[in-house]
Amino acid sequence: MTDLTRRGLMAAGMAVGLGGRIEPAAAQGSGPRRGGSLIIALEGEPATLTAHLATDTPAMMVANNIFNALVLLDEKLGPIPDLAESWTTSPDGRTYTFNLVQNARWHDGRPVTAADVEFTFNEVIAKYHPRAGSWWPNVESARATGTHSFEFRLKSPFAPFLTMAGSVLSSGANILPKHIYEGTDPRTNPANQRPIGSGPFTFSRWQRGGFIELNRNPNYFKAGKPYLDRVVFQVMPDPAARLLAFERGEVDFLHWYIVPYDRIARMRSDRRFTLLQKGDAAATNGLMLMNHRHPQLKETAVRQALAHAINRNTISERALFGEARVAKSHIGSTVAWAFTDRFDYAFDPAKANALLDEAGLRRGADGRRFPLRLFWASGRDYEGRGAEIIKDNLRDIGIDVTVQVFDRTSFTDRVFRQWDFDLAMQLFTTGPDPTISVTPRYHTNAIRRAPFVNGMGYSNPETDALFDSETAETDPAKRAAAWHRIQELLMRDLPALPLFELPPIHAASARFVDVVTGPQGYIESRENAYERR
Amino acid sequence: MAPQLLGYAARRLVQAVPMVFVIILINFILIHSAPGDPIDFLLGSSDATEEYIAQVRREFGLDQPLPAQFFAYVGKVVSFDLGYSLRFREQVLSLILDRLPATLLLMGSALVCSSLLGILLGAVAAQRPYSAADNAATLVALAGYSMPVFWLGQIMLIVFALNLAWFPTQGMMSLRAPREGFAMVLDIAHHLVLPVATYSAYHLALVFRLTRVKMQETLAQDFITTARAKGLPEGRVVYRHALRNAMLPVVTVIGLNFGFMLAGSVLTETVFAWPGTGRLLFDAIGARDYPLLMGLFTVLSVMVILANVLTDVIYAVIDPRVVYR
Repeated sequence: MTDLTRRGLMAAGMAVGLGGRIEPAAAQGSGPRRGGSLIIALEGEPATLTAHLATDTPAMMVANNIFNALVLLDEKLGPIPDLAESWTTSPDGRTYTFNLVQNARWHDGRPVTAADVEFTFNEVIAKYHPRAGSWWPNVESARATGTHSFEFRLKSPFAPFLTMAGSVLSSGANILPKHIYEGTDPRTNPANQRPIGSGPFTFSRWQRGGFIELNRNPNYFKAGKPYLDRVVFQVMPDPAARLLAFERGEVDFLHWYIVPYDRIARMRSDRRFTLLQKGDAAATNGLMLMNHRHPQLKETAVRQALAHAINRNTISERALFGEARVAKSHIGSTVAWAFTDRFDYAFDPAKANALLDEAGLRRGADGRRFPLRLFWASGRDYEGRGAEIIKDNLRDIGIDVTVQVFDRTSFTDRVFRQWDFDLAMQLFTTGPDPTISVTPRYHTNAIRRAPFVNGMGYSNPETDALFDSETAETDPAKRAAAWHRIQELLMRDLPALPLFELPPIHAASARFVDVVTGPQGYIESRENAYERR
Repeated sequence: MAPQLLGYAARRLVQAVPMVFVIILINFILIHSAPGDPIDFLLGSSDATEEYIAQVRREFGLDQPLPAQFFAYVGKVVSFDLGYSLRFREQVLSLILDRLPATLLLMGSALVCSSLLGILLGAVAAQRPYSAADNAATLVALAGYSMPVFWLGQIMLIVFALNLAWFPTQGMMSLRAPREGFAMVLDIAHHLVLPVATYSAYHLALVFRLTRVKMQETLAQDFITTARAKGLPEGRVVYRHALRNAMLPVVTVIGLNFGFMLAGSVLTETVFAWPGTGRLLFDAIGARDYPLLMGLFTVLSVMVILANVLTDVIYAVIDPRVVYR
């Protein structure tokens, strides 16, 4: 496989092992090898080792090895069995019935039953999970209908329900043991630090600030799995030192956003490493947010002028070393059923100048029109490089941009609470379903002083109406049409300009196989991973 | 002298108590004036509702006015309750105590190595000032003094961990093959070398230069000439007579440096993924974890005060002229 075709496949959004060195298990003789330790780098200390309170990546990366959800997602972002072995949806789209596997056990030996599922949703997720507020109000009831059967009844049909239940990215849908949590405060239960789950690995020890060690669960309900004896998560906060440790073979896996884009080309040609990309449930876009309260930016024509003036190809090539694609919509292209690129802007500085002139913002005697501030948060170098390119592009159409960098907490405060910004660099996930991740950014009711919602102040009754109605649409074609119309409106109104799509490229030691198998690559469990013979 | 000394140390400790409270007040004001809201970190990228945010605020007492939060905090500190971490959802004291041994091991090793080596080198260099060896040592010291810790750490990693592969790059122990007993001690020592070397550079340079200057001054004094005239061996003159006198200001600087070393631990621990309090502080700042930040600053301040008292005690031990009332 040449670099060119590999890049081509990546561009097509296909799920491929980029290194071309992954052989299917069958080609290795008698199946995956048992044994071995996989060491995974974490960029920070997890808050807890469960996913029902925290939404930080390190916590989810560990928790998903210890716990199971009802369903998981396959590479096409459709549901596949986990604790639920089968499920049905009623014709009116309001009732979801799950049949659980019979042989799942908690790590302390007790059986996993529908009572655990009922308890987890009603008593923990509904009350304490940060993301429950967006979908729980639509749940009429969540109850066990037998020892191993469970039923959700919704108030109105909600098309992305199964995708959401299966997405560890969006709902924190891990099932917790009722006998451990019942009658306690789920926020302070000591099991949050010493978790007891049903998953492929059991908790062994947590050296604070150092590492978290998990051991193989010999009684795992998925026969034969997992293959590894141990999974160890080592906390490594320094980006450069982390890369050195990976090069030296002290760690075996770096998840996508801690692999710097400028290193990917080098790793691709190094036989010791494998680059992995399997689908993309998160579909992360890099965007430039625009504050609709700004005296000039509140004019649609001005925002459209900016879209024509910014050379997004240059940003992909220079800021992201050609590893990212230009984003052509507010939905990532990996959410294929909903995505359309029909409403994209061409790079056309002349058009941008004309639009600004028509809007009455003519150049002054010094050739300048008006100034803008562009903020970014430290930690993602490519956002900083992108900001400098934008500054250059906008200078050419007479807009002076001051680029300012903040630490992430100050940035979030300034942009999403104070609304004190003109332009800001921000990543938004757009998958696994746009209802879950796109609607909460651009709906009028998302204009709140809270992180990562509609700090731009964008409000359009027509898009709001579409956001509200599309979830009840049971015909996939009609639902896709609604989302195409939403993208047309978002691209016309530009609450944010999509700049680039971040491909999740993970790096693993070539000694290991199947370290990533699903579309939620970096945070999924390692139950399929094994070491080469 | 010993009971006198103990009495003095006890008095100094009692005097330090009001100081601790002033420090807590200053820390409280500083921490709460930094921009940012712990809620933002707690919620991550989720689209939490207003009700949920209000619930979390109530849970952690963040909805109370600042003076009320301050007095509630002081009330708890008096009973050794440092509060509950927003980010880690655990007792602050237990989080700090979990991490303190790693930092004390790193800092203690660095402090001992750099002080002993610095004094020794300084004493040797002072005997032959401006010789080739002295100039070389001075040059190295200047470099050690000027290099930022995070940069020196990276260079150490590239040279000794990546290229020469003598030492591991990250953490406190080997994770691929965990060891027990004495093998584990050796493993930790192996992991300790690079961070200690990095951590020591600045301090070593400082102690070396100061010892050298003070030794030169002392060696030029009359009582040294007298000692030599009495026919004492040169080694005894230098190490028993001169060094003991030259040490006094050096001890002061070592004591003062304790505080700087605590602050420096943030960078060293981050570069080498050392599981100590410096990293905990770094995480707490990023998350605006007010209780954890307050707890760390309070514990670190108390340690600095204790180090100062200890410095005074050491003074009395090495200088019999010092009298305490």
